[in-house]
Amino acid sequence: MRILRLIRAVAANSFSESVRHRFFTLFFVFACTAIYASVLAGVMAVDQEARVLTDFGLAFMELTALAYALFNAASVLPKEAETKTIYLVFSRPVPRWAYLAGKLAGSLLTSALMLAVMGAMHLLLLKVRGFGVPPCYAWALAGSLLKLSVITSFAFFVSLFSTSAVSTMVISGVFWTAGHFASETRFLAEQSGGVKAGVFKAAMWLIPNFQLFNTRDAAGAACALGPAAFLSAAAWVCGAYLAALCLISKKEF
Amino acid sequence: MSATAVSFSGVEKTYRRPGFLGARYTTAVKDLSFDIPAGEVTGLLGLNGAGKTTIMKLLTGLLFPTAGRVKVFGHAPSEGAAKGKVGFLPELPYFSPQVRPGEALAYYGRLSGLSGAALALGVGEALERTGLEPHAGKRVSEFSKGMLQRLGLAQALLHKPELLVLDEPVSGLDPLAIHDIRGLLAGLNAEGRTIFLSSHSISEVEKLAGRVLIMVKGRLAATVSRAQWEAAPGGLEAIFVEAVK
Repeated sequence: MRILRLIRAVAANSFSESVRHRFFTLFFVFACTAIYASVLAGVMAVDQEARVLTDFGLAFMELTALAYALFNAASVLPKEAETKTIYLVFSRPVPRWAYLAGKLAGSLLTSALMLAVMGAMHLLLLKVRGFGVPPCYAWALAGSLLKLSVITSFAFFVSLFSTSAVSTMVISGVFWTAGHFASETRFLAEQSGGVKAGVFKAAMWLIPNFQLFNTRDAAGAACALGPAAFLSAAAWVCGAYLAALCLISKKEF
Repeated sequence: MSATAVSFSGVEKTYRRPGFLGARYTTAVKDLSFDIPAGEVTGLLGLNGAGKTTIMKLLTGLLFPTAGRVKVFGHAPSEGAAKGKVGFLPELPYFSPQVRPGEALAYYGRLSGLSGAALALGVGEALERTGLEPHAGKRVSEFSKGMLQRLGLAQALLHKPELLVLDEPVSGLDPLAIHDIRGLLAGLNAEGRTIFLSSHSISEVEKLAGRVLIMVKGRLAATVSRAQWEAAPGGLEAIFVEAVK
């Protein structure tokens, strides 16, 4: 019970600090502008306006939330060490695993809030243009949130050994991009032989398949995220968390 | 309560700095042994780089010793049982500028295991004791350096620790703030709390401490009691200068 209270305190503090940060507002304003700009693309699409508005809006939302999540995850732990705030935490009876869990939960909550508010704005815009809620909209947002959970946990892990927030963002960005090419990697692994095939097969294990979380292109009931998506996200989040825990447990401040 | 609050026994701390052509090693403290009796104010003096902050961090579990053993009330500093009895004020503590002092203290109080009425009481008492009550409505961004230092002290006092570890508690403060903090620390010691403080100011340590440890290049050069420096010509300053020369 005490540990749960600790995790909740760290998460709530992390969440409120992130939301109060000016970068959160900047990213949010940028996302709203980008979503609004998608109206232009929608108008040009003529009879496909609803589809274009939906797709552009969801893509802008995901990319903005990704940029913010990477920025936040890459800087949250190094900033606490740099400002010595971490001294005030780890000189108290706070287990490092609980602190890490709280920080991660706080970052995920921030991403979820950002997605939820942007989603509401997007739906409002669609309504103003005379369209209803697109099919599978909630699943699309859930898929984006799962992707953000995986990339945030990974960025937390990288931030504990990388030399700067920029390098954490670059490494995590490469990880994100590679994760969207899982089927291509599988194809190359099947087509290649020898060392190349080994490298591609290793990449398939070391990089998550982000295509599992993409529901935007699916139609009808097929757009629902399957258990594999949730299990994969949970496994990657847990794996990245445990790897980060190994590093932070030995880390001196 | 154990008669010994802190015990260092043969402690060594070597930092490893990774480099392009292999790691570099720097020994910050070496063969360090001393005890701090419970209820005493002990000062730690030394020039820059003498190992003062390393000792503070070893004591609070932020660093792990390379060799030797550190005990806080009979426990390893990384154990919850030790940490629950320690209040730590690092040099130049940082608080989020957007929050009010009560919010910052409530967060650290929760981390110290306080909740509900005990948390509210602890926050109120800490604000009152450090003289921050009139500034409770301000944001931390509006605080002066002295007020930040008071807030740092307040977070260290929240859970009523038995041992206060203070790294440069009066660094950069104006004379009035120094006077107030000195009075606060004397009051805390009168309540039976053990205080371990590092400082560059010999006169401050002289006024507060009953015993002083003088560090020179990572080694304990001298342990001086109040009776010794009061009897010495030139006082503690002369002893310190002699030790570090």
